[in-house]
This record gives sequence, structure tokens and C-alpha cells, in this order.
Amino acid sequence: MTTENRTVDTSVVLCGVILKNPIITASGTFGFGKEYAGFYDINKLGGICTKGITKEKREGNPSPRIAETPMGILNSVGLQNPGVDGFIADDVPFLEKLECAVIANVAGRTEEDYCYTVDKVSRLDCIKMVELNISCPNVKAGGMAFGVLPQSVFDITCRVKKYCRKPLMVKLSPNVSNIADNAKAAEDGGADCISLINPVGGMAIDWRSRKPILANVCGGLSGPAVKPIALKMVYEASKAVNIPVVGMGGIMTAEDIMEFLVAGATAVEVGSANIFDPEAGNTLVNELTNLMKRCNINNVREITGSLII
Amino acid sequence: MKDLEFTVEYNREIVRGVFEMRLVSSEPLPPIHCGQFMHLKVGGEFLLRRPFCIHKFDEYGITIIVAVVGGGTRRIARIKDGEKVKAVLPIGNGFTLGENHRRILLLGGGVGCAPLTTVAVTYPDREYISYIGFATKSSVMFLSDFEKFGKTVLCTDDGTVGRKGYVTEVLREDIAEIKPDVILTCGSTPMLKAAARLSLETKIPAYMSGETRMGCGVGACLVCACAVREKNGEAVNKRACVDGPVFRLEDVIL
Repeated sequence: MTTENRTVDTSVVLCGVILKNPIITASGTFGFGKEYAGFYDINKLGGICTKGITKEKREGNPSPRIAETPMGILNSVGLQNPGVDGFIADDVPFLEKLECAVIANVAGRTEEDYCYTVDKVSRLDCIKMVELNISCPNVKAGGMAFGVLPQSVFDITCRVKKYCRKPLMVKLSPNVSNIADNAKAAEDGGADCISLINPVGGMAIDWRSRKPILANVCGGLSGPAVKPIALKMVYEASKAVNIPVVGMGGIMTAEDIMEFLVAGATAVEVGSANIFDPEAGNTLVNELTNLMKRCNINNVREITGSLII
Repeated sequence: MKDLEFTVEYNREIVRGVFEMRLVSSEPLPPIHCGQFMHLKVGGEFLLRRPFCIHKFDEYGITIIVAVVGGGTRRIARIKDGEKVKAVLPIGNGFTLGENHRRILLLGGGVGCAPLTTVAVTYPDREYISYIGFATKSSVMFLSDFEKFGKTVLCTDDGTVGRKGYVTEVLREDIAEIKPDVILTCGSTPMLKAAARLSLETKIPAYMSGETRMGCGVGACLVCACAVREKNGEAVNKRACVDGPVFRLEDVIL
């Protein structure tokens, strides 16, 4: 059999959900899917993560919300979204027609907000998993993000888990002192899997005007600049837990995907790359298959956690 | 919207720090409406694309105007004739004229004049009067483009050529006589604010093409938020890329 004609198995199973391939588009970079449907058949993806959904409609932060930094982008969108009811009315009808796995990303300002939204979205047939964005400021805890202290990661996961009718994926922030502790806290709280990393806190300044470039002053850094940080955290988190890990941070090529799998990820999320190139998801799916053929890898699942030290 | 490959036919500096680039595709372009824009892949170490309004278009080619304002545009300015580039187009709503809009006033400031030159291509059956303003004689662009489809009043802030003063102030003197049905405008924020006041005072509806830092350019990432006041008075963030870039001037919170 020639290399070209070989078939390779790119499928992975994540908390019982079968993904055609380990490629999931990351929350906040892929809208609700339909924005990219004109560029390629998004059913080719393993899955898509929706824009972060909150209980109420949110207008987000003032502009400018984005800045380019060396090999990265800094953003401060601030969870602009139509709210869970707007999502159900306007976006679910499109998502219901998709064959790839749809993961609802949920955010909130209080534990009650999270529970309310998770309960609503996880009842929807088209939603196969829920991803919990715990990088939001917790209004009750004085504005510190839910995702910073292991105890609060544990608490929010426990609370939300009771309302979640689908597998629960907790998305961890890298802006913490020990990622392994937070990964373990999510697992202990009942998470079915974890995803990481959310953007790294950052800032860009126009020194001539003495002003920050982002209207919100600070933002989250993503893109290739954060990949080494993300790989380290995926490696550390996957060693700390027995649940699957979804890795992300600056993935631009199929080689990058392989690196995350080797570090311990079962699947990956692709974020900034969608913003640089609307066809990035499609390109990565094709590249991954070709890379596996070239490297004689029959089954992508055998790569997960294969790091040799 | 499509991500297409183009060959750079030419890239030349037309006034200091402003480049005109013509891009040609090997396949016919999708239909383009006036005021739409494209999202150009910069290349090199730059990851984000840069949005540029379409200044001219035909079946196979488009022309864009690039003002060098930072590292990304500096790199674009160095793109050589014959190089290949990728761009998503056409993006955005563009300028839409009502049937009752017969007498059109085009109001442009500096590089902001660039998207206005396509209006008469999409709507050839209207009457056009253009007021275009620049800082000084050496920064004047596009005069002959505007003159092709109607009376054009050139203004410079320092009076080195044309009428002296801000283009909005010059227009203020003449507007009662012109009686346009609608104003289409693009330019700096102070210019747009002055245009908004003029529109309010004269009750002549106006539409502006806006600019903001942009991410995906396809409506997904929500970084290009433009604050717009809805009919009920509520301020909402619209996406400049796909909800705009053209908005009713009086609705935009400048």
C-alpha cells in the first residue's frame, strides 16, 4: 500500500464523545460556527467550542480590544455574547444541523449564573459537552477569578457539576501558581476532563502616547508566543490527573498538535489560528492526516502521553 | 467571502507614507459592493491580517490604499510587484443607497476618501458632489478619481491648494445650496464628529465607514466592536467587520 492511499485513524474519544479527529476550535475564536461555514465544511472538525455564553446578554469591553505582539495577540473582548436565551434562539438552530461535536463554553459572574446557564445549555440535544470558563472575575469573592485558587476551582466545579447533563470540561487559567493543583482541584470537583490553557495575562503599550493599546488596559495573550508555556502546563496537568486533558495554546500546524498530544493531551483546541486564517481548521485537519501518513502513525490515540524522558 | 490569492501588479507610494497597491486574481472575483473591504495577510512575523477598504475594483482586480501607521503596514508597504498575497474579500455591508437618494454628497478626509470612489461604480445612475479634504498640497490624493463622476471641491487645512479649511467647515458654507439627499463619509474621528453635527443640524441623513483594530474579519472574534446607539437608545457593540463597516453616522458613538 502506498503512503498516499493508506488510511489513518484520527478519531479520539473524549469523555465518551467520539471526535472525528482531535481538532476542536477554541471558544471565542470561532463564533458560533456559522461565521466559518462559508469557508469550509466545518463538519470536518473534531468539534467546535462556542463563544463564552453567560446568563444575560453582555456587551463586553470598549475598543480597541486587540493588539498584535511578537508572535502573539493580546485581546480583551470581555465575553460579549447574546446571553443564553439569545444563543438558544439564534444559534442553536444552526448548531443542531452539525455533525461535529458542539461544546458549549459557559461563563458567569456568580456560581448561580454558571449553574443557571450550564443547566440550560446542557439540556440541549446538540450540545455534547460543556466547557467551563473559570477565568471570569467572581463578584462574590471580590473580583478574583474563579480559576485562580484551587479551592475555588474545586467549589465551582462541584456546584456546576450537579446541573450539567453532559460531560463537563473545566478550562484552566495559566495565571496561577501551580497548574497541577488546579487540575487536581477540577478533577476532585467532578470534572470529566480539563482543557488548558486560557490566555496568559499580558499588556501592550504605545510608549509615545503613554497609553495602553487595549482600552481595557490589560488582556489575554494567545498565539504561538504562548505555546511553550501551554505545553509545560499540559504536561504538568496531565501528570496530575486521571481524566483526559485537552491542550491548547498557539497551535498553528499539525506538528504543534502532535506536540500537545505527546505532552499528554487527548485532543486539542485551536484558537488564534482561526483569526489569522479563516481556513485554519480545514488546513489542520488535512495536515494532520498527511503528517500521520508520512510518519507511519496509524492511530492518533497512540500519541497521547507518549513523551519519553 | 473567500480567501483568495492575488499577484501584486504594483505597489507604489502615491503621497508620503501612503501606498496604492493593485492586486490581481487569476480567477474572477466575487461580486463587490461599494464600501466593502478586504482582509490582507501581511506575512513575515505578522500574524493578524490588516483590513483595507476596496478603493477600486474590476472583474479580476482590486486597488487598496495603505497608510503606513505601524509595523504591519510598514511591512505591507515593502511588498514588491509580482509577489503573491492572500486576502479575504469582499467583507462588510458597504454603502447602500435608497431609491430616494438621487443627489449624493461624498465627504472624505485624507485616506478616508479611499472607499468613497467605489460608490459611483455600484450606483452609476446618481448625481455626485464630492468634498475631499487633506492636510496640505503634498498630501492630496484621488482628485481625478472624484472628478470623473461629478463636481469635486478640494480643500486643504492650510490652503496650499483648493479651498482653505477643514473640509467639513467648507461644506458647511455650501450645504444649503447643494441640498444633498444623503451624505456618505469616511475620515478621521474629529472629521466624523463634525460631519455628525452637520448632519444633525441640516437633517440630511449621513452614513460613515468606520475603522477599528480588527481580528478575524469574518464576524467571529468580536474584537472590532463599534459602539452604536439603537433606536431604543441602548448602546450596543456591533461588529465593524460584518455588521459594518458602514453605519448611520448619528447612531455611532464617536
